[in-house]
Amino acid sequence: MACASELRGIQRNLSSLEAAGVKAVAISADTNDESRELCRKANLTFPLLSDRKAEVIRSYDLLVPNGSPADSRDISGIAEFLLDASGKVRWRHFGETKAERVVDEAKKL
Amino acid sequence: MITKRWNWRLWAGFGLSIGALAAYVFWVNETRAVFWPALLLFLAAAVLLVSGLKRRSREPELYRGKIAGPVLTTLSVLIFGLFGFVVYQVLRVFPEAKNAPQIGQRAPGFSLVDANGENLTLAQLLSSPITDSRGGARATKGVLVVFYRGYW
Repeated sequence: MACASELRGIQRNLSSLEAAGVKAVAISADTNDESRELCRKANLTFPLLSDRKAEVIRSYDLLVPNGSPADSRDISGIAEFLLDASGKVRWRHFGETKAERVVDEAKKL
Repeated sequence: MITKRWNWRLWAGFGLSIGALAAYVFWVNETRAVFWPALLLFLAAAVLLVSGLKRRSREPELYRGKIAGPVLTTLSVLIFGLFGFVVYQVLRVFPEAKNAPQIGQRAPGFSLVDANGENLTLAQLLSSPITDSRGGARATKGVLVVFYRGYW
């Protein structure tokens, strides 16, 4: 259940994020079947996107080669990017963070 | 009567090594580059500790009987070992991300499938309004993109 706790935190704070005008989206190298399973188990209502070939993950320079403990496939490192309406990065963070902190940053947009 | 002196170098070296570890842990999530300043602090700590130990052996009558030297040095070495372990863990979970988009830069676009197999692009996310649970719509001021390790 790697990282699901962070996504759950985002879910709990989703209405605060949306009140600040911010949408949430999550990206991993999972298949969309795995994403659907995670959505269902963790009751996530924001989109989980499947970057199976890790192309987007590479373009953000977040690739962890052979990072999956289960089958040592390439995965993404944990990171958060807050983009403004023009698509520019306004805040970023590597590793897990508290969703409340992201909400604080979202309010500054 | 000789008054014993306080070997401040040892304490400063010990303090610096704690500071180096704390600085690394505090800032590593903002920038991986904090590794180098932390390493420099450890080097400075090592210099202070070595000079403190030398002083102790050169003028034993002033500093004799104090176990602070070996104790602080051992603790500092342990803290340095802990630093190495933390760095290893950070790099294992997370690469350096040197070329990750910086603050102020335009984030790379994407077009990916969601859990239902439907395509979604960053451009769509940025341009379409937010619809909340009550069916109201509001302008999108930004998008939070979270990268996660995956579900297994």
